[in-house]
Amino acid sequence: MEINDQASGERKLECSDVTKCFQLLESILDGELGDSGKEILKDKLAKCQPCFEHFHLEEAIRDVLKTKCTKQPVPTELADSIRQMIKEGK
Amino acid sequence: MSEVQRRKYSQEEKTAIFDGEFMPHIDSMYNFAFRLTFDEDDAKDLVQDTYMKAFRFINSFEQGTNAKAWLFRILKNSFINEYRKKSKQPAKVDYQEVETFYNSDDVDYQSTTDLRAESVKDMLGDEISNALNALAVDFRTVIILADLEGFTYEEMAKILDIPIGTVRSRLHRARNLLKDQLKGYAQSMGYNTDEEEED
Repeated sequence: MEINDQASGERKLECSDVTKCFQLLESILDGELGDSGKEILKDKLAKCQPCFEHFHLEEAIRDVLKTKCTKQPVPTELADSIRQMIKEGK
Repeated sequence: MSEVQRRKYSQEEKTAIFDGEFMPHIDSMYNFAFRLTFDEDDAKDLVQDTYMKAFRFINSFEQGTNAKAWLFRILKNSFINEYRKKSKQPAKVDYQEVETFYNSDDVDYQSTTDLRAESVKDMLGDEISNALNALAVDFRTVIILADLEGFTYEEMAKILDIPIGTVRSRLHRARNLLKDQLKGYAQSMGYNTDEEEED
């Protein structure tokens, strides 16, 4: 089953160190490696099919959490009541 | 909260910090509180309580440092100490139990999941929210902090009072549990089957 890339045939189908690679990919996705992560990422995704698939799934999950999780509107009176309580507490 | 009292702020400074650095986070704070308690009144109380504490201990807040992380830490501690006990929803997993059981940093990284990125992308907001809400509170919390609020591992470590390695491993476990939840939705919608046609 292809995932949106024709070149996946060139990737190795087994990852030699899943634990290390996946941990690295997740750190990159979480923004922990800054710019240096981008180079490592390009290399990994071009060469390793399990890394490629893991990356895209993890990316999709982060993305839907960020964009689709329903937000709860803050009760309008909450900010005022906090300010009031602090004023009274002085 | 840091025990070191760096300096004393004047009344004007306190008000300026409170309005300028604390209050702008009320939206995130309320949503965090709601995702912890699943109850509007409890969430309101929790946020109110957090801001009262923040004001009372404002001298231990160092201006220019991350106010949002500081506030989240107070909120999380208030939740554990007070609201957890009286919460209408009984906690599914005891906090201490989770702490000791899940704090090991050794995590099994395996590509076992047959969930596909495409089916995740097609999911509805409600399905994502429900999947998140179904997780035990400690797993839910790390996902909220990392993905919804964008905290770094280091900030999360401070908010939760756990080492960075534990943040990383707990987050990994949390996302795996979330994948299991999402897999259920994907299967029920027929995303994961090979046959395209419906019967």
